[in-house]
Amino acid sequence: MLEIKCPYCGKRSQNEFSYGGDATIKRPQLGEEISTEDWDNFVYYRDNPRGKHSELWHHVSGCRQWFKVSRDTATHEIFDTCKMNEDFNV
Amino acid sequence: MEQAQNLSPLHFDHKLGLFGDHENKENLLKISEIKDLSIFQIAKFKKSSIEIEKVTINQLNLPTESLKVSYNQETRVLWSGPDTWLIISKKIDLKDEIYKSIRDEDFAITDISQSRAVLQISGVYAKNVLKKGSPINFNENMFKPNNCVNTTYNGINILIDYLDDQPFCFNLYALRSFGGSFYHSITDSSLEYGYEAI
Amino acid sequence: MSNSFRTTNSTGLINKDKKINFTFNGTIYHGYEGDTLASALIANGVHLVGRSFKYHRPRGFLGVGVEEPNAMVQLHDGNKSEPNIIATEVELVEGLKAKSQNCWPSVQFDIGEINNVLNRLFPAGFYYKTFMWPKSFWMKIYEPFIRKAAGMGKAPLLPDPDRYEHNYEHCDVLVVGSGPSGLASALAAAKNGARVILAEDKPNYGGSLLTDEVTIGNMSGKEWASDTISQLKSMPNVILKKRSQVFGYYDHNMTVMIERVSDHIENPSKYTPRQRLHYIRAGEVIVSTGSIERPISFGNNDRPGIVLASAAKEYMKVYETLVGKKPIIFTNNDTAYSTALEFIKNDIEPIIVDTRDSSNGELVKEVQQKGISIKFNSGIADTKGHLKINSAIIGKLDSAKESFISEETVECDCICMSGGWTPTVHLSSQAGNKLKFNDDIDAFVPDKKRQKETAIGAANGSFTLNQSLAEGFQVGFDLSNKFTDQNNPTNSPNSNEPSYEKHEKLWCMPLPSGKKPKRFIDFQNDVAVSDVELAIREGFRSIEHVKRYTTLGMAGDQGKTSNLNGLQYVSKIEKKIVPEVGHTTFRPPYTPVTIGAIVGREVGNHYLPTRKSPIHTWHEENNAVFVAAGLWQRPRYYPRGSEDMNSAVNREAANVRKNVGICDVTTLGKIDIKGPDAPEFLNRVYTNAWLKLPVGKARYGVMLREDGMVFDDGTTSRLSENHFHMTTTTAQAANVLSHLEYYLQVVWPDLDVNVLSTTEQWSGIAVAGPKSRDLLSKLFPDVDMSNEGLPFMGLVDSSMDGIKARIYRISFSGELAYEVNVESNYGLYMWKKIMEVGQSFDIQPYGTEALSTLRIEMGHVAGAELDGRTIPFDVGLNSMVSQKKDFIGKRSLSKDAFTESDRQTIVGLVPLDKKTKIPEGSHIIEDNSAVAPIPKLGHVSSSCWSVEYNNPFSIAIIKDGKNKIGKNLYAVSPLKDISIPVEVVSSHYVDPEGSRVRS
Repeated sequence: MLEIKCPYCGKRSQNEFSYGGDATIKRPQLGEEISTEDWDNFVYYRDNPRGKHSELWHHVSGCRQWFKVSRDTATHEIFDTCKMNEDFNV
Repeated sequence: MEQAQNLSPLHFDHKLGLFGDHENKENLLKISEIKDLSIFQIAKFKKSSIEIEKVTINQLNLPTESLKVSYNQETRVLWSGPDTWLIISKKIDLKDEIYKSIRDEDFAITDISQSRAVLQISGVYAKNVLKKGSPINFNENMFKPNNCVNTTYNGINILIDYLDDQPFCFNLYALRSFGGSFYHSITDSSLEYGYEAI
Repeated sequence: MSNSFRTTNSTGLINKDKKINFTFNGTIYHGYEGDTLASALIANGVHLVGRSFKYHRPRGFLGVGVEEPNAMVQLHDGNKSEPNIIATEVELVEGLKAKSQNCWPSVQFDIGEINNVLNRLFPAGFYYKTFMWPKSFWMKIYEPFIRKAAGMGKAPLLPDPDRYEHNYEHCDVLVVGSGPSGLASALAAAKNGARVILAEDKPNYGGSLLTDEVTIGNMSGKEWASDTISQLKSMPNVILKKRSQVFGYYDHNMTVMIERVSDHIENPSKYTPRQRLHYIRAGEVIVSTGSIERPISFGNNDRPGIVLASAAKEYMKVYETLVGKKPIIFTNNDTAYSTALEFIKNDIEPIIVDTRDSSNGELVKEVQQKGISIKFNSGIADTKGHLKINSAIIGKLDSAKESFISEETVECDCICMSGGWTPTVHLSSQAGNKLKFNDDIDAFVPDKKRQKETAIGAANGSFTLNQSLAEGFQVGFDLSNKFTDQNNPTNSPNSNEPSYEKHEKLWCMPLPSGKKPKRFIDFQNDVAVSDVELAIREGFRSIEHVKRYTTLGMAGDQGKTSNLNGLQYVSKIEKKIVPEVGHTTFRPPYTPVTIGAIVGREVGNHYLPTRKSPIHTWHEENNAVFVAAGLWQRPRYYPRGSEDMNSAVNREAANVRKNVGICDVTTLGKIDIKGPDAPEFLNRVYTNAWLKLPVGKARYGVMLREDGMVFDDGTTSRLSENHFHMTTTTAQAANVLSHLEYYLQVVWPDLDVNVLSTTEQWSGIAVAGPKSRDLLSKLFPDVDMSNEGLPFMGLVDSSMDGIKARIYRISFSGELAYEVNVESNYGLYMWKKIMEVGQSFDIQPYGTEALSTLRIEMGHVAGAELDGRTIPFDVGLNSMVSQKKDFIGKRSLSKDAFTESDRQTIVGLVPLDKKTKIPEGSHIIEDNSAVAPIPKLGHVSSSCWSVEYNNPFSIAIIKDGKNKIGKNLYAVSPLKDISIPVEVVSSHYVDPEGSRVRS
């Protein structure tokens, strides 16, 4: 049962959140010319690191905000959290 | 013209009486349904140039931090997210009151008055009841009177509005469709202490 | 004579004024308040309590608490019956009933003991080598036999009648264990202003202070414990919990604790929970869980009457009970001598066998001063006594301590053994602490921590009282200061304890001459030294393999009294040091937890929350049969008289096509969308165009995932220039809202749009059928309901009896239809009003099943077709895909596979015999006589009985669907041995031009 610090609401228990995948993925621009390979990378391919991972969480039972979390995928240690338009401090 | 029948969300679930371990006990919990509140969500548009600090609704300002509530006798303004608030009032004409202060060009203003089942629980053991189903830190230094919090209670999304601590008194809001399960969950947790449904 | 094994003094914690009667194996005994089932049985001279797991050997009590491996009983009967409960953890309560397990017909005479006689056929891992031949014997003979023999107690077949509750707590410092170090740290932390929870598994606080002869300050250890608890009780920032075990350590300092609330109360009130599960989030956790004594392995060391020396002492000091009157103390260290001294206090002279050459420890000297002679350099080789020990063979060890030089038989009625101490490191290990082996104490201690936990006292390998207190006060202060900054330390008082000499590194006795009695290491799983030797002979080297092959340490007690001895023995054989051999990982729970406690109150109908529409009570009163749609309860059909489902559904659907029906569609998702960029946002989310939708009009919309698959569909209306009302399917309502929020917050934060769920604000009623217009005209006389006044996909606001109503002209059934939305408090009223006015139009309610029939024969796709594997082209929605703009998922649609023209697409199927309903999920094949593997053309997604044509009709998704129309194929279900010849038709079976909705 993780404890996650929502950047808006403070520390809350994992039951209030929903996991949202890799935070480093940038969606290609609308209307942009893009190769099938690059599009497939965006849609399907993800790294699977053991260690520090930058990921999205959604505070579904709280402020309904999406935000970023830096978490170790092996030990679950959470290093930092921040708003979508910010960067991690740690 | 017939008068349309207005049925509150917990109309069929809330039954009056004494329940649980109530014999020979003082300090029974009191549980009641709060009906006919006006509830509006207002959310400031990003491109609006309105200054939030200058806005007051029913003479109340808009809190800018999580947990915070601005309140008077009739109306409470609850922080609900960045630039988002819930306005809850006993005033039937809350909509007019809101439009006295803000406009549709600056805020998304949506009436959700009939979308919530509302229970009030008060008494010495009210906090104990909440601690049975919600992972929130209810210690006095973390959650204080006139704080509000959105969380879960036994899997159901609820909004807790902390009205008073002499004795503890909370208004609990859940989506109305969850009404029956929500009512059961709260009252079941109250059986151990004994409660009066009023 | 009852209770003939009680001590003469009464300085323990039982209350002899309160007699308690209980039954064991049908015999009534009595004990006292404060007794456990174990202590009360021992006091009555009962030691034979069960039979071991594999060999069915007679077993008695080994320990006094949570470490007990043998004395598992079946507690209570009927629906409260509970198997595998250790008698040492059961508090005596009036009328308690317990029985032995794993024996038949009785614990005294057990047929299963044949296993012991034939033990050479059942060594470790025997099941890997037997029960294989002949193959046919497995299901009929071996399996049932093994099934009967397996397990210990019996699981009850009736529902658990007790209440179990949950609780969430937050604190600064959680202290686990109330021995000297735990009490010290709790006191220091609390005095320094921190919020403290102190958890103690037993019914009494104090731990070793309740049994050790020590002084702290000018009080006895026991008095100091009591005084400290009083202080803690008076502090508002402290929560004390006894009978509470912290059994699991999880992420981010979340620990879970089980509190035994009323197991010890004779007639608890109806609403008092039996047990309470606490989820505790602590800033810091202090692990002061003490240590567990190690047994010694020697011949037949498992007979009833053979106990741990510290257990014997605790039985005397706390429970005023004697484990025997002719004890042998067998030890490799000094601590067992305190047990000897306690016997002496009770006028019993023990025989003492010590493996060491000598010892000058204080306790040893004290025993010698009382005139007791000690057999040094000796060990126990074997024991005798079938149902209870009656003698031991004591041998003189040679200088290498690897064989016995001489042996003598000595009478005894109990052996109190001590092989030293194992720190209880389980919680630290669960928290991810990398343990290290401490050579001095020959045990693992916590070393590299991964979470905010600190082990102190014996749990940290600090075995003296002085160290424990010092650590406790220091750590309690240091950790609490992180939270309070009050800087108010508490000094550790002086303490007095005996001094101890070193133990001997010897935990396994050699075999007696000429014999090979079993020397047990793991009592609960019946693993002996010979089993470990066998595993190593067969090539299993790592401790993980030895453990699994022999099942050492894998029983319910998780090896509390066997792990280390097993490890030691393996390292001795392999001639490696223990840490190299490794240690097994500790997993929660520390001891077994009843499932009811984990479930809490989510039982019966409240297993999951349910969602109901405001009209729900009307459905109930009108005989609706409900179906779960996610968490919602929706009416499936409304049977009349003796109708079965098919009759009811056909009647309801036919009535919609002929007259008018109403359906509760409140559950469909509704999302309010406002903002200057709302039209642009919809344009990016949906496949079709939205910028020019006129105000007051609705439009059907389809949205895709980025991989091109259809995600959801719905009807969205424009209420004003920048204000839209979106609808979604019931199933995807929550997902669509999250999807919209994701794109607005993460991908396109520059768009200025607010989205909010309004599903619950409005009640929705579908009014469908040729007479729907006439019906609604009567209800809303002020609205122009003509085809021109309110055209298809139009909407209008009106009111009735003072309530607001919004009427949409939209249709899911394919008939002329409307959807009336009113604010939820009036949902039930509006439904009743429509039913009342509708009587003259032959109105009937219809449920989800009839709704399905209507849309299926119209060829309208729903969840079964939009299952995440279909793109718009596949389900006949290609015309919805704009070629002029980009939107979510568009780029995927131009991938090669998605542009092939013979993709699986939707068609209709009619069985050739016009009678046989085609099961959903059936495969479509071309040639019924082909031999497997047969190419599959597609599958059947939805089936119904067409009320329009009075025959079965299905929607299927098959390869090159369009070009198969007119062909005959087969729908097959090999699992059910079904093969149905079908004709392929257009999926738009009824009203293909869509003229009814536009009429």
